[in-house]
Amino acid sequence: MEFIVGDTNEAINAEIVHSLGKDSILIKINGKEHSIKLLKSARDEFEFILDNSFHHAKILRSTTAELVVLIDGQSLQVKRHSKLTEVLEKSLSLGKVAVSQNNLTSQIPGRVVSVVANIGTSVKKGDSVVILESMKMQLGVKAHKDGTIKEMKVQQGSTVARNDIIATIE
Amino acid sequence: MVKKINSILISNRGEIALRVIRACKEIGIKSIAVYSDEDVRSIHVKKADEAYHIGPAAASESYLAMDKIIDTANRVGAEAIHPGYGFLSENESFAEACEKKGIIFIGPNSEALEITGDKMKCKAVMKKAKVPSVPGSDGIIDDVEEAADVAHTIGYPVLLKSAFGGGGRGIRLANNEKELRKEFEMVSTESKAAFGKSALFIEKYLDRIRHIEFQLIRDSFGNTRHLFERECSIQRRHQKLIEMSPSPVVDQKTRNNVGEIAKRAADAVEYLNAGTAEFLRDHEGNFYFIEINSRLQVEHPVTELVTGVDLVKMQIAIAQDEEIPFKQDELKMHGCAIECRINAEDPFYEFSPSVGAVPDCSIPYGPGIRVDTYLYPGCTVSGYYDSLVAKLIAWGSDFEEARKRTRNGLYEFTIEGINTTIPLYKTIVDEENFIKGELSTDYIDRFNLMDKMHELTKKQASMKSSAAIAAILLQLEFAKTGGPSFQFHKAKPYSNWKRSQVNR
Repeated sequence: MEFIVGDTNEAINAEIVHSLGKDSILIKINGKEHSIKLLKSARDEFEFILDNSFHHAKILRSTTAELVVLIDGQSLQVKRHSKLTEVLEKSLSLGKVAVSQNNLTSQIPGRVVSVVANIGTSVKKGDSVVILESMKMQLGVKAHKDGTIKEMKVQQGSTVARNDIIATIE
Repeated sequence: MVKKINSILISNRGEIALRVIRACKEIGIKSIAVYSDEDVRSIHVKKADEAYHIGPAAASESYLAMDKIIDTANRVGAEAIHPGYGFLSENESFAEACEKKGIIFIGPNSEALEITGDKMKCKAVMKKAKVPSVPGSDGIIDDVEEAADVAHTIGYPVLLKSAFGGGGRGIRLANNEKELRKEFEMVSTESKAAFGKSALFIEKYLDRIRHIEFQLIRDSFGNTRHLFERECSIQRRHQKLIEMSPSPVVDQKTRNNVGEIAKRAADAVEYLNAGTAEFLRDHEGNFYFIEINSRLQVEHPVTELVTGVDLVKMQIAIAQDEEIPFKQDELKMHGCAIECRINAEDPFYEFSPSVGAVPDCSIPYGPGIRVDTYLYPGCTVSGYYDSLVAKLIAWGSDFEEARKRTRNGLYEFTIEGINTTIPLYKTIVDEENFIKGELSTDYIDRFNLMDKMHELTKKQASMKSSAAIAAILLQLEFAKTGGPSFQFHKAKPYSNWKRSQVNR
């Protein structure tokens, strides 16, 4: 299997070679053998000694295309890489973009302090559409493209979560 | 005469409420917490002797609701109120309301709060007391001719400030008279548009400044002591991020001199209890008073670690009309302390707030490490309140030891579920200018710390990539077999080693 870690563009080849009995496993990363001694194993949480160093890992998100791994407290994005996923990813994301490209989503959770641009208002990319408040800070959710506000999904006082749709811009 | 306090209501939340609760427990005072709907499961509610609900999540209806808090204090028989920092801590009406109801407000009296809360009034009092402020106009400037006169006297460049601004807004820089005349018009117009009136003042622009403050305590007998300085130059948008004591640029002579000035500032407003005199220091080594923070500060542990004085217990003692038990020259500075403010903000995404459940966290400990936090595994970080979730404070016999312990603490600190400022601090502790003590309030921008943070994170990601891939392989294997396919030897329920220790 091939993986791409973080924003490096290097594909890393890795596989399980075989179990060494008890709780030890032999794996191969880029052709080099490493031994793992498993200390704790749950569905998405593992503690293990890789070669001679301890690691704690939690799989936070897992899809066919990518995973988010919390490794020793640091969160890392790992893409599964293969010709098949590459093709899948392309077609999926193309389809997704067509549906979602009008949706303005919030990158942060918060409460809507005010709606700056109402339905029918034309906005330029970067204009604030609504003002959110979170942790005593006020932040504008900015239009991701030029267009007209077609739909407003929130109102003053609404609570929004991360990735919630705020408005549609056409 | 000492008036013994038997119970304290803490009108605050988070780590500072917990800090006060701990002091109460040490002295044997009943601690009374208050909480909003949002905080039912918060740690201060769990740790206090008693806890009372005071309202909905919004601070204006709970932690800022004076009437509710004072009613609660009266109803449950709290003899004193500790306001912590933020919320009502510097509110003179609140202090006055407490005074009227016969509740001891642990802090200055309302008269002192009124002066320290008004920048212009405070500056006037300090001028009388010969406390040097940043050179500038004596109050509001009426027209552009007067502005030009003042600027000529103090020298360019100058800053034009709107009395109604704050947090960096309504501030303009002028390098010469031509710019001054232009900017004066602009700021006046802006101020009129925003506030219906214009009120401008002028201050000398200081380049490459450091923020250095002095901890003060003053008792009801008029004894004033300073507990040395804290350097808080590492900031972002006027918010302090890292504080330390001693400052790398303050020697004993300067410490004594500026410390005496700070004491004069406290005397001038007849200050009571713990407070902080804030100064700016220019690159020539001049100190200018800016304001008195009339409360216990977030960064107070730094001073506690280098002086050995427990400031919260000291606050309670002073509120009980006790006399400060030491003279100025009996105070000694011991070692070095550094504090990192761990905020629930994403440094990779413009420091936007990061809130939600924290399924797990691991709090560092070990030699010289102190962590003041409200986090625990399973807690929630609310978007209704301040983003400070923890303070990591490290003490060492010198700066290097404190720095390396800070580093240990940062690398041991894991908080799941939210993003924090820890990656930025990991970058700072190993940054050469930080190590050299080359600090200024624009440190983060001046030395490109954000770029350095991205580099470091990338480097760490590549160091962890094998382990991350190993974890993914394990999970794939796990998913394939539907459970652990590997044989485990079961850990003994009670190890012999542990048993021998218990029996010792």
